[in-house]
Formats: sequence, C-alpha cells, structure tokens
Amino acid sequence: MNINRLSWINIIRNPFNSILSLLLMAFGIGIISLLILLNKSIEEKLYSNLNGIDMVIGAKGSPLQLILSSIYHLDNPTGNILLEEVNKITSNPMIELTIPLSLGDSYKGFRIVGTNHEYPKLYKVNLATGKFWDQAMEVVIGSNVVEACQLKIGSTFYSSHGFVEGGPIHNKYAFKVVGILDKSNTIIDQLILTNSESISKVHNHKDHSNHSHEIVEEECSVKNSVMITAMLVKFRSLVGLINFPRQVNETTNLQAVVPAFEINKLISLLGLGSQSINMIAFFIIVVSGLSIFISLYNSLKRRRYELALMRVHGATRFQLVRLVFQEGMIISILGLFVGILFSRIVLHIVSFFIVHNYKPYSIQLSLIKEELWMFPIVLFVGCTASLIPIIQAYRINIPKTLSNV
Amino acid sequence: MLQTKGLSFSYNSSYIFTFPDILLEQGEDLLILGDSGVGKTTLIQILSGLLSPKSGVVELNGTRFQDLSSKSLDQFRGSNIGIVFQKSHFVRNLNMLDNLLLSLYLSKKPQDKQRVIHLLQEIGMSDKLNSFPEELSDGEQQRAAIATALIKKPDLILADEPTASLDDNNCQKTITLLKEQVSSTNAKLIVITHDQRLKDQFNKSIVL
Repeated sequence: MNINRLSWINIIRNPFNSILSLLLMAFGIGIISLLILLNKSIEEKLYSNLNGIDMVIGAKGSPLQLILSSIYHLDNPTGNILLEEVNKITSNPMIELTIPLSLGDSYKGFRIVGTNHEYPKLYKVNLATGKFWDQAMEVVIGSNVVEACQLKIGSTFYSSHGFVEGGPIHNKYAFKVVGILDKSNTIIDQLILTNSESISKVHNHKDHSNHSHEIVEEECSVKNSVMITAMLVKFRSLVGLINFPRQVNETTNLQAVVPAFEINKLISLLGLGSQSINMIAFFIIVVSGLSIFISLYNSLKRRRYELALMRVHGATRFQLVRLVFQEGMIISILGLFVGILFSRIVLHIVSFFIVHNYKPYSIQLSLIKEELWMFPIVLFVGCTASLIPIIQAYRINIPKTLSNV
Repeated sequence: MLQTKGLSFSYNSSYIFTFPDILLEQGEDLLILGDSGVGKTTLIQILSGLLSPKSGVVELNGTRFQDLSSKSLDQFRGSNIGIVFQKSHFVRNLNMLDNLLLSLYLSKKPQDKQRVIHLLQEIGMSDKLNSFPEELSDGEQQRAAIATALIKKPDLILADEPTASLDDNNCQKTITLLKEQVSSTNAKLIVITHDQRLKDQFNKSIVL
C-alpha cells in the first residue's frame, strides 16, 4: 500500500465522477486532435499534389475553380482554350515544362485526362504493368481505378460525358487499357490517363451544342485547331512567378493562376472554420477541469475525516497533497490519452467510408508535433483543478476535524 | 514511560482546562473518567501531540513533545502512538487488509501481510479481510479500529470513548481485546470515557 495505489483506488472506487471528468477531457482533446490531424492531412495533400506546378493557364473564370479542376480534379473546368494560343505564351525561355490537360469525360466517376507522358512523370508515378499510351484511345489507369472498376490490361470501356456517373455515353469510340500505374497516394491514383487526341476524337463526333466551350470554338473558328482545358506550367526559376501570371491575365483572354497562392487562401478559409470548433473544444476542456475540481472538492469534503486519520497514522502534509494532486492528474492525463486515441479511431472510421472518391486522409497513428502543445494545457488544467483541494488537504486541522465527527 | 506535568489548555480566555499529572509505566493501563465537557477529548489530543497545551509538558519515553518540530511530531506520533476514536473511521475506499497496510505504510513500518492476517484472526475478523468498512457492523468496526491502531505496535495506545456507542456485550468484547493486545505488546493504554461500565475493569483510574 502506498500513496500512488491509494490515489488510483480512490479513482476507480468512484467510477461515475471519474468517468465523467475523464470523458469530458477526452472529448475536448479528441476534437482538437482530430482537427489538427485533418488540417494537417488536408494541407499535406493539397501541397503534395502541387508537385512543382508553378502556374496553371486556363480559360477565364474563377481562379480557385481552375486550380481545383486542373490540379485536384475536384471542380468542373472553367472552359476550354486553344492550344495554339497557349503555346504562344509558353514558348518563353523562363518556362521549363508545360503539360496540357484535356478534361471532359469520365468513367464510373473517374476522370479521363488527356495529357502527355510528362504528367505521370511529374508525380513520379511509374507503370505497374503494361505500357504508356502511344496512340489515341489507349489509356493508362491509376491504382484506385483498377480496384473500383475491375479493369485490367486489354479491357475496353466507353466514357461518359461530364464528371459524374450517369452522364450521356460516348459510344462511338471505346477506350482500351494498355497500362496500370503504381499506387502513389497522389491524385494520379484516381485518374484515367490518355493522350489529348483521344478526348477530342470522342467529342468531335458529337453534337457540340450542349458544351460549355461552344462559344470559344465558334469565336476561334479555326478548323482542326486543338483545344485543351488547362496547361500546367513549371518555371525554370521562381522569378517567372512574379510577372508572368499578371502579364497573361492583362494581355490575353486566358487566365494564369499561381496554385500556391490559391491554396494558401483556401487553407486560411478552412482555418477560420476549424478555429471556431477549436474554441468549443477548449471550452469543453475547461468544463472538464471544472468537473475534476468539483469531484475532488466533494470527495474531499466527505473524506476530510479520512485525511485527518491518515495524518494521525503518521502521514505528512506532503503525502496528502500528493494524494489529491495525483487523483486530479491521473484523470487529466488519462483523458488526454483517451482523447488522442479517440481522434485516431474516428479518423480511421471516416477514412474507411471515403473509399471511392478523393481520399484526403493519410492515417496518422503516431503523435504529431502540432499535438504536443495539448500536453501543457492538460497539465495546466489538471493543476488548476486540484489547486483548491490541495490547499484544503494541506491546511486540514486535525484536532478540529477529528472532534467534529 | 509516559509522564505529564501541569497540563492546561484553553480554547478561549474565559475558561481554562487543567489536567491532573499522569505517570504511566510500560505495560500499565489507566482509565480516565469524566462527564461531557470536562475536556476528555482535549486531553487525548494533547497526549497524542495533536494539540499543544497552553502550559505543561508531555514526555513519552524521554521525548518531550514540545521539543519536536511539527513534522517530526507527526512522524513520532505515527510510529509510537495508536489512537482509537469513539466513532471508528477508515479510508472508505480500502478494504480491511489495505486499511491496515496503509496504517503500516504511513507509520513507516514494514507492510507485513501475514501480521495483518494474524491480527485480524486474533480479533475474530479473519473473514473480513476483503470487506470494506461500510460492510462491517458497529462492533466489528470498533474492533477493526483497534486493529488499525495496534497493527503498528505503538508504544502508547489512546482510546477516546471506545465503548460509548456499543451495547454491553460488544463493550465487554472491545475492552477485553484492547487490554489483551496491550499486554501482549507490552504497551501503555489510556482509556478516556464517561462510560461507567468500564470503572471496574482498570486498576488505575483518574476522575476529571
């Protein structure tokens, strides 16, 4: 028998109070920890998919929409642009690399992207089996597409128009799978890649009246001109970033966007939302501290005689202080760990349900450095909650307590 | 040897308790009888070093209480003095075994589990080893309280109204147990009470 054991026994022999305080603490910590993990994994995902793309050129419209559609394949494209016109701008010594993207079709919700071989290379994705496309209508598919659509090399399929399942089917030309890509945990896993001609081939044989890029095409009225949706640009040096986008935006009817800027804006917007949830979580932690305080205070009122008795048996003041302090701290720290565990479990469950679509969560089981500041907060709350009970235990008047039975 | 000289105490200036001098050799017992309000509990608390007297000296085996700092007095009390209160109290979250072990731990004595079991056997409560205090009857609680005071083999045992709430049968049992245990460990026993039933049980007695 010792003080450590006694504080532990006092906690488990008082399960309702202890569990209430512990759960409140775990809840507050769990929410904060979950937010930290989500923010971090979303940020990581957003930045890692940039992979050196310095600028995106597309049709005029919302800059964020252009970024979301061309880099993250989340939103609809802003429209189509003439490759010829883009090439005029990009034949500039400052530019190291350009990758054209043609969007418009999908298969079972997975986007078909017309591009060149540089695109998978940009994400350092290699072939798992098969080969890259070398003619129109040949496709290479990402690893998630393989799982979800049961496609293998040699399979053929028809694309549907638009990005959601159930759009009109383009059944004139079938795509044929010639290669499967390695899993890379990037957006490439979600895509079906082919060359740009495949996309225009599928579309040129269709009535264009419904298409969003109709006007652009009519205006240009250039026969056999190649249309693309966006151009990803990598500069030779970051100096290009300063003037180039502004020049494009002011002097052409194209739009140039620097994705890093847009992502920063997006993250600070997300931050506002998570800040208010953070405040609520802090409030829950404070309430948990209050609950620890009340439960210690009440139990001390009942145990006043007990503490005096312990002093009579030879306990020092410091031993009583330790007893009360430990009871508060054990609950706080257990709450902290239960909360961290809780956030992991919730994250695991959430990511289990998001299988098909854009999967933003990499499961992080170990503690991350942004979570470390929760430790001093929990210690502080635990100390503050135990402070008054500790003072009471320290100042207990033995003769008076013993004679007031 | 326990010796007191010229003890007095006052809670306020209007009334002062004065107590007769006490001299008690090893193995002796003493009954102090007194009605309510004559300062029985106050005397017990002075003899145990919980209260310091207004005047006078308490000396146990050559150690004067007033020479000790409050911390060393706590430790001295823990290892040398066992107190049995009128209403027995325990650490409610611990079973009897752990309560007795805690008493040993706090008085810095070795936590000898066999001795605890043996003592509980002697007081006829070996089946209550794992019982919690609230599960015991009044008589059992009083015997268990004596056990917590005795387990650390104190040199002086102070009992404050140990029989007041007990019926005749339990009263007799309790006092016999106290006297037996005291003589077997060669300790000194002081019982302070207003309970007239105990008058004939002690050789030495003082009336307050």
